[in-house]
Amino acid sequence: MTGVLVSGTTLPDGARLDVDAVVVGTGAGGSVMLRELARAGLNVVGFEEGDCPSPGEFDQREENMLPRLFQDAGGRSTEDMAIRVLQGRGVGGSTVHNTNLCKRAPDAVLDIWERRHGVVGAGPRELQAAFERIERELSVTEIAPELRNANNEVLRRGCEALGWRGGPLRHNRVGCLQSGFCELGCAYNAKQNAVKVMVPDALDAGARVYTDTEVMRLIFAGQGIGGVEAIAREAGQRPRRLSVRSRVVVLAASAVGSAALALRSALPDPHGILGHGFRLHPGAIVAGRFDHDIAGWRGIPQSYECTEHLDYAEGSDRRVWIVPAFAHPIGAASSLTGFGASHMTSMRAYPKLAVLSAMVHDETSGQVRVGRGGRPIVRYVMNDSDRAQLARGLAACARLMLAAGAKEVTIPAIPSRRIGTIAELDALDMSFVGPHRIPMTAVHPMGGMPMGEDPRRSVVRSTGEHHQVRGLFVADGSLFPTSLGGPPQITIYALALHLARHVVERAG
Amino acid sequence: MRECSDSVPVARRVALSRRRFLAASVGAAFIAVGSAFAVVRCRGYAPRRRRDLVALAVWEAVVIEHAARRIVAPDDAGDASVPSADDVDVVGLVDVWVSRLPAHLRRDLGRFLAYLEHVAPLGVGVFSRFTRLAAAEQDRVLGSLEMSSSDLLRAGFDGLRLLVFLGYYRDPRTFGILGYDGPLVGRPPGGWSPSR
Repeated sequence: MTGVLVSGTTLPDGARLDVDAVVVGTGAGGSVMLRELARAGLNVVGFEEGDCPSPGEFDQREENMLPRLFQDAGGRSTEDMAIRVLQGRGVGGSTVHNTNLCKRAPDAVLDIWERRHGVVGAGPRELQAAFERIERELSVTEIAPELRNANNEVLRRGCEALGWRGGPLRHNRVGCLQSGFCELGCAYNAKQNAVKVMVPDALDAGARVYTDTEVMRLIFAGQGIGGVEAIAREAGQRPRRLSVRSRVVVLAASAVGSAALALRSALPDPHGILGHGFRLHPGAIVAGRFDHDIAGWRGIPQSYECTEHLDYAEGSDRRVWIVPAFAHPIGAASSLTGFGASHMTSMRAYPKLAVLSAMVHDETSGQVRVGRGGRPIVRYVMNDSDRAQLARGLAACARLMLAAGAKEVTIPAIPSRRIGTIAELDALDMSFVGPHRIPMTAVHPMGGMPMGEDPRRSVVRSTGEHHQVRGLFVADGSLFPTSLGGPPQITIYALALHLARHVVERAG
Repeated sequence: MRECSDSVPVARRVALSRRRFLAASVGAAFIAVGSAFAVVRCRGYAPRRRRDLVALAVWEAVVIEHAARRIVAPDDAGDASVPSADDVDVVGLVDVWVSRLPAHLRRDLGRFLAYLEHVAPLGVGVFSRFTRLAAAEQDRVLGSLEMSSSDLLRAGFDGLRLLVFLGYYRDPRTFGILGYDGPLVGRPPGGWSPSR
């Protein structure tokens, strides 16, 4: 049986579907679930809010790709507008625009999930097979030194000069041309992502995927799930209302989207924890000006990491992950503070800039809520401990830049801090670092519907099934009981694969 | 006693009516003055280029036009190679972009633009619309928003800045300022080597 991938607007208004399982979202978690359920012979349908652009449509232009590939046209932010939250939209979810980093959940983090959060059966040993299989399917390999661009070389040189811990990253790309436009979708189809690897397998196995279709509400039937209601919208088309009856529904619409859907559906939440425990990995950048060209927009954006300030142990005061973070002109312009002539002067240094990012393995517990019309609201007020970590991380980035030979380092802040020497850096009062004082971005929303065996502290069981609603599963970053401390895609893929058997069992 | 007790409510009614009348009069005066003020303050917007706007109101487009000229003001006014915000039609891109934004973000933008146009100049001691100020005064107004003690105003300014940068730095004519070689898609093979 061969499945279909079409717009939901191809269905008649008021269409009623009767299936074995529904998967909401087609990113890392949803695509694996779709495939595994279809391969198990189930009649499964997936819904995707965005569309399905093909690599031929990725024109490497920010003004065209940001609205196409990102939620709210790239304009999503925390409720107080302090942190920009970049999340994918469309078939493949964030795996379409991410920079292909493949890092397993650290053993220490999985141990904490087991010991502190009552997660059972998802420890390092239990997930080993799923990690290995996913990495094989996505062709995960270490990025070779000769593929490291000048911006990543700055980080490596800085680490070596300071004697700090660092090393190459792993990625999932085959046939990469090193264009440097990963975050705008790969025009060369080199990303071995959800839309290239998992979705075709799911379709081959008979899954049906409807794009441009937003699931508006979960339907409950007694103590279990009964299906979903959705609306298909496409420009120039009349919206179609769809209703789907199913005894299994898998939420894989991201840490923001899944919690928001659950909240607007009034999902039973006897302990008031739905949407809480939301993490972001908030990050900020430091720019270093060199006396030679860096042209950091070219080549693989992130191929090297610094883990000197990252320790996953519980209660650690080293919770910063440092990676290069170069952007194309619009992203770079918005990262540098100021305006007018002084800003343009800063932009003229663009080819000679290297940019590093400090990302916090955060402890702040944010919350996903829903506002008017059921739209998601992300409440996240960074706590003092995380602020201190971010300050530490930005100072470390500046030190790395100077050690690598930067002539001047700028911490984009209001006003910007410019540093020319280590002595100046040591003398700098970093207390200015915090929300609204520096531009902050987050690309890894997590938590909100955490897994665990204790229904007072978790929304779903370790199997991914909701504690109170039979047949309702979660299979995305919402599951994480804590921050991960690194790129989440591989862990989401692997967890979905690991949990799929429970979903199959329930649906079968 | 009855007379007395009867007379009190009458007196109260009279006093109440007078108070109400005064309150209503003052309220009506405020509304009239406010409306007149709003009408005066919201008229007279003429965009530099006549266009059919998709999402922005005319006054919003004009405010963005003025803000954009300052936000991407050239650092060397004599450098003819640097295109202006008007040259690259920043407003045109912003208009299309805004049409793709969710309603709540469009609403927030409109509120911020109204603040920038009518209220922010007061913060630097100028009683005029933003769009009628000289460039140096517009810079002071924008600077006051960037440095504002209000998180909300700083965030609003940052959002406006992002929209302007979107409209400006997407244009290949600005790539020369940056030494940026632009997208590879559509370029002839061999135009760029991955080896550096």
